[in-house]
Amino acid sequence: MANQKNIKIESLGIYLPETVLTTSELLSQCKHPPSLDFERITGIRERRKAVGEYAVDLAVKSAENALKMSRYSAEDLDMIICTSISKYNRKDEVDFEPSTSMMIRKRIGALRTINFDINNACAGMLNGIYVMESFIKSGAIKCGMVVSGELNMPLVDTSKQEIRHSFDRQLAALTLGDCGAAIILDKSDSDKYGLHQLDLITGAKHNHYCYSKPSKRGPGGVLLTKARGLHRKGAEHFPFYLKKTVEKSGWTMNDIDYGIPHQISVGVIKKNIKVANRFLGEKIPFRLLYNVERVGNTTTTSYFIVLHEFLLNNTIRKDHNLLFVGGGSGMVIAHATYTMDDLPERYISKFGSA
Amino acid sequence: MKKIRMESIGVSYPRKKFWGIGSLSHAVHAGLHCLKNSNYHPMDVQVLINCGIYRDGHYAEPAFSTFIQKKLGINTEFQGRRTLSFDLQNGGCGMLSGIHVLINLILSGRIHSGMVISSEANADKKPDPNYQYKNSGAAVMLDLSPNSQIGFGNFVFKSFEKYMNLYSSFVSLTQKYGRLLIKKTKELEDAYLACVQSVIKELLDTENLSADDISFVIPSQISEYFLNKLPENICFSAEKIINLTHKYTDTLTTSVFLSLKHLLDEKVIKPGQKIILLTVGAGITVGASIYYF
Repeated sequence: MANQKNIKIESLGIYLPETVLTTSELLSQCKHPPSLDFERITGIRERRKAVGEYAVDLAVKSAENALKMSRYSAEDLDMIICTSISKYNRKDEVDFEPSTSMMIRKRIGALRTINFDINNACAGMLNGIYVMESFIKSGAIKCGMVVSGELNMPLVDTSKQEIRHSFDRQLAALTLGDCGAAIILDKSDSDKYGLHQLDLITGAKHNHYCYSKPSKRGPGGVLLTKARGLHRKGAEHFPFYLKKTVEKSGWTMNDIDYGIPHQISVGVIKKNIKVANRFLGEKIPFRLLYNVERVGNTTTTSYFIVLHEFLLNNTIRKDHNLLFVGGGSGMVIAHATYTMDDLPERYISKFGSA
Repeated sequence: MKKIRMESIGVSYPRKKFWGIGSLSHAVHAGLHCLKNSNYHPMDVQVLINCGIYRDGHYAEPAFSTFIQKKLGINTEFQGRRTLSFDLQNGGCGMLSGIHVLINLILSGRIHSGMVISSEANADKKPDPNYQYKNSGAAVMLDLSPNSQIGFGNFVFKSFEKYMNLYSSFVSLTQKYGRLLIKKTKELEDAYLACVQSVIKELLDTENLSADDISFVIPSQISEYFLNKLPENICFSAEKIINLTHKYTDTLTTSVFLSLKHLLDEKVIKPGQKIILLTVGAGITVGASIYYF
């Protein structure tokens, strides 16, 4: 390996649309509202909704925010990886070519970069980091940006029209929210800080639990989920890999300060804590951070919207050890261990504390 | 310096059947062909990257690679050996980008071997008339070369955003099942030709080679016009430019690898030769790499 040093998040940029859509408002817009208490089950009270903006706009705004606090300018970036799932870059149109990373590159003026898109469902941004880490470690690049703009409201709009009963497979689409996130990665000065381990694994046998494609009933795209099966299968396997990632980092559970799970719903996060406790034979000694009740499931960007909020409210500080716990349809299981450097101080000094 | 080699190549050539063959079938056929030619077992594939753009059902998630992984039987369960699979999209340069990514994963010590796979097929019952790519598939198995003289050299990717509006493809969701639409302008091929020269020059400079050192250039088989104009644009003699448009026409991401497989099967490429793989795609993005045989 050319360069064994850790990579680190040099800068973070989040763009959260201003318009709030509450769960009760959303359910009232459904043609056939589910009869179950959706808000109680998911714990999601509200989410953000982009108005007059498309997926690429969310990505570009988050990329601009990331560049605001970075020591790198757009021209310094060597690579841009866009990991958006939703490529609604115009009304009712999902882009294939040119790549969304190409559009972002043009709009932020990063005209020197290698760019491409990666799609790996909700694990997309972690997958982007995994790929960029190899480029930085092999010495091919110095720094780059992983960016994602998730415009999920078109899926929500279809589900409002098409949900027919309380067990409809489109119900999970009602948990979604819009958000953009971007991170700039480079090499850490010290191996104490940065990304220690990042493990991703695909159990393709289980790829039928959740998928998104054009609707066969009418216009629009749909997200179809067998939620129980998805969570059951995830819960069967993720604790083993969680333990393995922590051990490979040379940590024990007691070394972890905070966990950042993929923000599916409050209910799922709480259930997964119980599953992990049962597997480990003890109560996990760290706190899991989440804000899904206020922003919904923002798919690929969900880890970073949590990081953003808990950096600003001074919860995550320098020297804190973080565990990212996630996954996505496919089925992908992802875990990462990370030690914070001076990013919290720089983040607060740039964007102000919450 | 260590080099990464193509350990095996598998392809699924365009075929005519009454009911057509989808992107998953083409990818699986190419993948099986690649594994058959390989010394590796499916369980040795540590990373599977799918670089195809157009896929059955216009799926947005999960990654289409998971369908391919499942069909190829590559470590589909969580227990035992592990595989990560994901999609990478970079227009017509996708497969070369996928190889570039996989090479860096191997060089960084993350993995030992992996597969880059791609297939193209239009899933629509009534395809857009602008969609003219033949359905096909290609797969490449990569690992660390035992011989430091054999394998991939440098890669050069350049994007030319001023030509971004010349080509675009998207799925329109105004009707059920969606419909793939392609917007293509007449100037596209001339723009490709205008972009390739600087990429080839930079590639040769980074490798410290001249055009005389290169035995063949295998470009994307865009059209007869593009391939006839290419030699003068990149200052290579016409006989070094591989033109198989009469046989395979343009198959987008798989194009270069169908041609490469054809040349290998025909034993046109000999050990010791150096070839350039040249891809062009929407953006405009041009990607090129040298392979030492």
